[in-house]
Amino acid sequence: MSKKREVLQGNIIAAKAAVAAGCNFYAGYPITPSSEVAQYMSAELPKLGYDFIQMEDEIASLGACIGASLSGKKALTATSGPGFSLMQEHLGMAVIAEIPVVIINVMRGGPSTGLPTKPAQADMLQARWGTHGDHPIIALYPAFSDEIYSETIRAFNLSEKFWTPVILMMDEVIAKAHEDIEIPDQKEIAVFNGADHPLDEDLNIYDRQIGEIPPRVDFFKGYPIHIDSLEHDRHGWPTTDPALVDKMQTLRMQKIYSRLDEIIKFKEYRMEDAEIMIFSFGVSARAAIAAVDLARQQGIKAGLFQALTIWPFPERELKERFKRIKKVLTVEMNMGQMKLEVERVATDDVNTRALLRANGVPFTPAEVLQSLKEFVK
Amino acid sequence: MEKFERQANEEALARRAKRKPSPKKNELTVVSMYCKGCGLCVDICPTGTLQLEDNIEGKFGVSVKVDAQEFCIGCKMCEQRCPDFAIFVNYEEEEKDKQ
Amino acid sequence: MRDYERYIRYRTFPTPWCPGCGDGIVLKTIAMAFADLKLPPDDIIVVSGIGCSGRMPTFFNTNTLHVTHGRALTFATGIKLARPEKTVVVISGDGDATAIGGNHLIHAARRNIGIKMILINNGIYGMTGGQVSPLTPQKFITETTPYGNIEPKFMASELLIAAKASFVARETVLRMHPLRQVIKKSFEHKGFSVVEVISNCHINLGRRNKLKDPITMTKWIASRSVTQAEYDKLTSEEKAHKYPVGILMEDKERLEYSELYYKHIVPAAKEAAAKQSAEGK
Repeated sequence: MSKKREVLQGNIIAAKAAVAAGCNFYAGYPITPSSEVAQYMSAELPKLGYDFIQMEDEIASLGACIGASLSGKKALTATSGPGFSLMQEHLGMAVIAEIPVVIINVMRGGPSTGLPTKPAQADMLQARWGTHGDHPIIALYPAFSDEIYSETIRAFNLSEKFWTPVILMMDEVIAKAHEDIEIPDQKEIAVFNGADHPLDEDLNIYDRQIGEIPPRVDFFKGYPIHIDSLEHDRHGWPTTDPALVDKMQTLRMQKIYSRLDEIIKFKEYRMEDAEIMIFSFGVSARAAIAAVDLARQQGIKAGLFQALTIWPFPERELKERFKRIKKVLTVEMNMGQMKLEVERVATDDVNTRALLRANGVPFTPAEVLQSLKEFVK
Repeated sequence: MEKFERQANEEALARRAKRKPSPKKNELTVVSMYCKGCGLCVDICPTGTLQLEDNIEGKFGVSVKVDAQEFCIGCKMCEQRCPDFAIFVNYEEEEKDKQ
Repeated sequence: MRDYERYIRYRTFPTPWCPGCGDGIVLKTIAMAFADLKLPPDDIIVVSGIGCSGRMPTFFNTNTLHVTHGRALTFATGIKLARPEKTVVVISGDGDATAIGGNHLIHAARRNIGIKMILINNGIYGMTGGQVSPLTPQKFITETTPYGNIEPKFMASELLIAAKASFVARETVLRMHPLRQVIKKSFEHKGFSVVEVISNCHINLGRRNKLKDPITMTKWIASRSVTQAEYDKLTSEEKAHKYPVGILMEDKERLEYSELYYKHIVPAAKEAAAKQSAEGK
């Protein structure tokens, strides 16, 4: 079975994977370093009779995606920090109305216009709390080219299954680097398509038990339905009834947090006997994985915990490992974001440190190694 | 009732005074649950058939009253203009015609 | 049941609007236009932004979507491109459409995407308690212009025509029959269409400008609307207080965006794909 090996840019890998996952609608706005996704989609989607449109700004882009998603499409947009900031209100709308959509955020130096052509990993907490109000969110973050492909597929499947926006984080390095990759055959890819909701007179489109995920509802399926960005009851009608609001808030939150085992995903490298754990993700995980080998050559039993699901945070999995491993080094290109989560989860007997940098220059394995050495001294 | 509501009533009565009852019988239906007593129907009725009246059950303490149905000429301007779907002209009769 | 009642969701009544508000008249007139065209309710989608007019979709017995302030046109663009065969209506107030939503308004017009927009212009932010909007007449008092509005207002129709809108009309909530006809005509129009409906907000705009009840304010509106022919004869000074009603722009030649996309882009892409595979790339 011949596997297609190609050298592709990270952005293009994500775009190809999106199409393989069933993406048939793209609305976006150009922004370095994610424009290639839009460029690829503008050429490829029409070949399949699918929709591409460049909108007037990022707010409009996510708005168009949500509209299309509610009309039976699998929608994608791609942006970077400044655009991601503009998209936050609509991200919240997709959360409250429970609408699947995938948003690729290729992180670059921030804040504001910042370092448009330099990598950073400083939108991590924005991905979690960027939009206002209590809300769950799913954010994935690949590090290597094959993971860009598989995590994009997973992003679409999770968004469709859990009726939720999913953010696919990337950084400027993995998105812009041209790397070789084995594109799996379409047959091998599991694409999730939610069943249609058996609509009836009552239109109970949001009615369900905690943790239960009913089939999805779109427009034009025989019953005129109402979808609202206002808080709403199980039919979708606006409500301010405190009991109903309580119920909907809980349902939305528990939809994600009661089924974590279907969402959390991570990779471990040489963690079996590790005495010091590196917690990292994205481009920083590339330096970390090399540093683990270097450290081991010098007698330091290091291991890497590479998070692929960033949000919800892999809390249970880390707690499990902290029973055995009492040193954790967080490596991330920002001034301390995911390290806050690691510290929150770590018990008192675990020594937590972080290798941080926010000047647009990725870490080298040697730098991570140096940090490990100082840690174990 | 407020000044503008009493004025709408008086103007309606003035218009009615200049007319004779309509030769054709028309029937008005008021959905008092939805009527907010805004007075737009009273103002637009060419024959002054309608009046506003104080009504404690009314949503805003005022609601429309079919004061002189015999003057209604069936022009349906009130139905067309009512923002709240609270007044209909020859509703049942036209339903029967449709069946 | 009236034909137009088929398009109304009575289960969500009563409406939240103030007694005598024009929004209810617009709701009914749109429902009548749906009925005139015998559109199947499930083939219609009404999208609205935030504001008093934003609450209108709840009362239509069609697919309805109530989105973020100023952004209804963006959601509607996604829907229209995804399902070009559907009737996509956007309800938007003067603030929602020409202030926060202004950028999307001009681009939807430029693109000529087949969205049917009803722009309800009552010259005020009503829901938030009466603040000035881009369409508030100059010198008027509002909650945020206690000393009189110094800003000149947009003439929405001119803004839209400059942005290449292919159908622009204006009517008032007083002229229910012409309003119904022009809404129906705008639905039949292929490209992007805007019907601006001058409506009365006597509670917020009227009360602070000696027009405090629905009857007085609607009469004031009636006094300001003239036909295009009459309008052209006015002096520029008189024109400041009047506006033409009726169809102000109708271009039937321009192709609608989604039609252009499926008739030009998709075939061109498929041709390129065929060529590429032929060359064995």
